[in-house]
Amino acid sequence: MSTVSAKAPAGADRAPGPPRPGGPKRRRVRREKQWPAYVFLTPWMLGAAVLTLVPMAVSLYLSFTDYNLFEAPRWVGLRNYTEMLTEDPRYWRSVGTTLLYVVVAVPLKLVLALGAAMLLKNLGRGRSFYRSAFYAPSLLGASMTVALVWRALFNDGGTVPDLLGAIGVDSGGWVGDPDLTVFVVVLLTVWQFGAPMVIFLAGLQQISPDLYEAAALDGAGRWRQFVSITVPMLSPVVFFNLVLEMIQSFQVFTPAFAISGGTGGPADSTMFYTLYLYERGFTASHMGYAAAMAWLLLIAIGVVTLVLFRTSRSWVFYADEEGR
Amino acid sequence: MSEPPECRRHLPGRRAFLAAAGAGVGTALAGSLSACSATGGGSSKGVTLTFSWWGNDDRAERTERAVRLFEKENPRVRVATSNADFGSYMQKLATQAAGGGIPDVAQLDYRQVSQYAGGGALLSLSAALSEGAIRSDEMDAEFVRTGTYEDEQYALPMGRGITGFAYDTRLYRKAGVATPHPGWTWREWAAANRRITALGERAPDGRTVGGANDGGVNEDVFEVWLRSRGGRLYASQTRLGFTEDDLTEFWTFCDDLRDDGVVARAEDTSQATSTETSPMGRRLAAADFTWDAPFPGYPALLGEQVRFAPVPTTGGRQGAYFKPSMLLGVGAHTEHPKEATALVDFLLNDPRAGDILGFSRSTPPNRTIAARVAKTLKGAELDIYRYALRMEEYGLDAPPTAPPRGDVAIQTAFNRTYQRVMYGLATPRQAARELIDEAKRELRS
Repeated sequence: MSTVSAKAPAGADRAPGPPRPGGPKRRRVRREKQWPAYVFLTPWMLGAAVLTLVPMAVSLYLSFTDYNLFEAPRWVGLRNYTEMLTEDPRYWRSVGTTLLYVVVAVPLKLVLALGAAMLLKNLGRGRSFYRSAFYAPSLLGASMTVALVWRALFNDGGTVPDLLGAIGVDSGGWVGDPDLTVFVVVLLTVWQFGAPMVIFLAGLQQISPDLYEAAALDGAGRWRQFVSITVPMLSPVVFFNLVLEMIQSFQVFTPAFAISGGTGGPADSTMFYTLYLYERGFTASHMGYAAAMAWLLLIAIGVVTLVLFRTSRSWVFYADEEGR
Repeated sequence: MSEPPECRRHLPGRRAFLAAAGAGVGTALAGSLSACSATGGGSSKGVTLTFSWWGNDDRAERTERAVRLFEKENPRVRVATSNADFGSYMQKLATQAAGGGIPDVAQLDYRQVSQYAGGGALLSLSAALSEGAIRSDEMDAEFVRTGTYEDEQYALPMGRGITGFAYDTRLYRKAGVATPHPGWTWREWAAANRRITALGERAPDGRTVGGANDGGVNEDVFEVWLRSRGGRLYASQTRLGFTEDDLTEFWTFCDDLRDDGVVARAEDTSQATSTETSPMGRRLAAADFTWDAPFPGYPALLGEQVRFAPVPTTGGRQGAYFKPSMLLGVGAHTEHPKEATALVDFLLNDPRAGDILGFSRSTPPNRTIAARVAKTLKGAELDIYRYALRMEEYGLDAPPTAPPRGDVAIQTAFNRTYQRVMYGLATPRQAARELIDEAKRELRS
């Protein structure tokens, strides 16, 4: 929505010649014309207030209370936060597990998405078919069903351990091994690289072919073209995907919930932050504690995003910044 | 950011996706709190009660029939029923309580009694009991006491359950292990596991069949072990009844058996969520600790050679006890306390209701009804009925009062903490310390 400035444009008063016809009057008309916009916006504003802002405010209040869902919340000040950070070893384990997941899953997913996009870009016929085929897992992926099938694939006697066994790698069931479970979730996420792939593909198509032609004339090989043209020209899209995937990964829940049967096991190896939050809130009835966890997660994601934005200045290249 | 114009239409701005991310965390929590309430209120002619429970289809069908009979007897009263599976029922009830009222009549888990009574969500039934509006003369007084909180009666047991031991008689006989009797010991149980494993029987997946499931993940098994040594799980509503040494000893005992390969492997234990997926259900182990109500699932799955036996003892002292498998309570905010207590009494004490409900909530607490229904039992259900009689004869220590409100969380923590022992991430003592720290925090709040 563009806001209409009530001030006359700078220099309008000093403009030579007669004053512009209808100057002040037209401004008043414009201001009167704003109310329909607000009328039309009312439903959205109500929705935002009732469904987002109020619950967020309540959640912030609850994070300073001890609330078990059916007694009135008791104000405990910062106790939820101090208990979390100083007394609860499982809290820090869940932080560690989540960070491991983010650090492994996000780059892997982006590399795969970019690779697939590069392949698709140069594909003539059948491109739309492959694009849809690669995108399909992203549509299905968030569902419980796929996560359960995934679990079956990696389980004892599942397809993956069997195939690995056939080529002489005896891994056993991945789901029952705390060292491997987290990678079952990582692979499930990485397999859903369709969304960033489509965005990469759009970005690749924006790069002017002239650049490649010029580079080819100068004798640049494929790798050189990729490093010197594709990567810098694509860096805004990489940045966009990176931020989005990072935010999503911090909030990973469904696959871990399904693969561990809701327990975060074995031995807490899939006890991601959100899963622990859920367990605190709905299994142990510590809603205040869960709310405090949610706020720390929000702050953490905010900080990481801010850091990404700050560092982006040194590696993200915008076409209109040439000569920087 | 200056993306190409085509992109700009699809890509949300930096602020938008920051906001979306933040909102996502908040709304995820808010969104999962969708309360649903049963239809209720008074009708023009009479009274409408709400009644909810959890359980399988068979239990639902029988409960509905009993409720219809109650309506026929009391034409002024209509009962609106709702039921769900255990997990979602628990969350729904908690949400209803938070929203200012559970149904007029609700089925409760033993672990919820303290929480709900302490939270003012349940009506005291002490007066109804003393006035005879709810009859308890055909029930065991000790057992009725399991529905009390701070000496007030808040709920009445609906079914009486007990822990036991499901075992494969064929494998036990083959290994030359004596039939488990009410006085057999933990040491004998450990030896039995070794002998069965030594048989080298092959499971369907080619592995060796072990002696039993690993009891270390199961708080109920620990409680039975503790009680057999004269201990108890909780000293009060705010204090544990056992020490770090007790738990270390128990977990060391379990850990050693697993290290020797005579009880289930870690990965099989950690993936067990039901009868079917437990090591015994997958034919990887010859025995399992289980409650009597779900026990019939084992013979149904594995065959009639699976029978129900007593849990091991320490020097003959039995740790098992009769426990309410579920209770009935009345919502504190009910507008019709008289009708609600009448429904409770009807479900517990009316012989016709007893016939309809049968053993769908394990042994009915009313002795007369239990004895009558027992005559119609067959197979595994008859097995658990006889087992209960036998244990009563043997003599059991009194059951503890309802566990404190933190027990729901402590039970899951127990499983999770022992898993760290199973996978060698913690020693039994480290794990015991961690569990006790967590339990203390849980009991403090």
